[in-house]
Amino acid sequence: MGAEFTERDIHLALDGELPAERLREFNVWLDAHPEMKLRAGRFDADRQRLRTALGPVAYEAVPGALTETILGKGSERTGLKPWRRNAVAAGLVLVGLLGGYLIGVSGGVPGQGSDAHASEPVAERAVSAHVIYAAEKLHVVEVGADQKEHLVGWLSKRVGTNLSAPDLTAEGFDLVGGRLLPSGEKVAAQFMYQDRAGNRISLYITSAAGGSETGFRLFERGGARAFYWVDGGFGYAVAGAVAGPVVEAVARSAYRQLLNAPARG
Amino acid sequence: MDEKRGAILAELPRLRRYARALMRDRESADDLVQDCIEKALERIDNWQTGDNPRRWLFTIMHHIFIDQLRKVKRRGAMVSISAQHENAFVTQPTQLETLQAREVLEALQTIEPDRRSALVLVSVEGMTYAEAATVLGIPAGTLMSRIARGREELRLQLEDASRRRKIRVVE
Repeated sequence: MGAEFTERDIHLALDGELPAERLREFNVWLDAHPEMKLRAGRFDADRQRLRTALGPVAYEAVPGALTETILGKGSERTGLKPWRRNAVAAGLVLVGLLGGYLIGVSGGVPGQGSDAHASEPVAERAVSAHVIYAAEKLHVVEVGADQKEHLVGWLSKRVGTNLSAPDLTAEGFDLVGGRLLPSGEKVAAQFMYQDRAGNRISLYITSAAGGSETGFRLFERGGARAFYWVDGGFGYAVAGAVAGPVVEAVARSAYRQLLNAPARG
Repeated sequence: MDEKRGAILAELPRLRRYARALMRDRESADDLVQDCIEKALERIDNWQTGDNPRRWLFTIMHHIFIDQLRKVKRRGAMVSISAQHENAFVTQPTQLETLQAREVLEALQTIEPDRRSALVLVSVEGMTYAEAATVLGIPAGTLMSRIARGREELRLQLEDASRRRKIRVVE
């Protein structure tokens, strides 16, 4: 006769806490006890539902107030206090979704420097996404550069334009890969690049339908910065936490290459 | 940006996910994360870089969560949010949340908080029993029984929910 198990072992097995040699015997036991097998199946299915429901939270854009707290520099433009942020944050989200984007991108006041705009959602999101994923050691990208064609095709389809991952080797940066991100109600593509020293720079692209075209602008927050522009209905931002001139050189190269890219469909 | 701050940033997506499981609505969940990172930054010098940032941050968040529960209990003001009250007030489902997701998240809220956190750390965050027990500051045996009870409660809640859904369809 096989070994005896109890309901307790169902949990241990499900949670990977049952040693491999016991697991085999456990599965034999489970097959011989249909009601226990049913229960194990239910626990497994419930866990799957939990994971499906909660999993996507980890891929949401992280609220700026949180990253700002960590980066040590609150937004000087709004003077937002962390403990006052609730009401304001809810309002900001709403403004962001309902067209604050357009105000932010097209409403810059000339001659007031890079921080004069009410908000630069594309650049801001690009910086947030950059600091989060550039810090990842294992999961820096969803799809690696070894599958570049698939990556570019997939992100082009989801973002809704023919993207290309610029060649930044002249600036010392190689493509690591990319990922799909939420951006307000839309999606954004992020291409991640890395140099030999391990410094990372990312290119962030999202739809900016209706936004007027802009030239090349700078956004800075914490130790990170992004150069961004709007072209052909899409917002582009090159973000990095390395020295300004490095980010700028990469951004200018990306800007040139993307402006010269074949007509978008 | 120094290494420690980078490590905290990298944990934000998971902290937010765990907080959402504990608090259900997005605002209170992000408040919890905010409190957690503020406390973490206060204590950043005590944190050894060799220590696992995830375990360190989740432990801090757990303490804050427990403190909040105690305060609420003392005030006795808050009504427990459960599926039974589903028509009493409107929760704030996030965009794109499906009925399936809403149902399981609401069922999760009816589970006793100690069991809820144990269940989520292991089932969703993928921690081992040893890791989760450290974060929650309890012996492994206690963790084990909280997970078992939590799973059983969740199963019953989901069965209830699916029964109610069927009745509604028939009506």
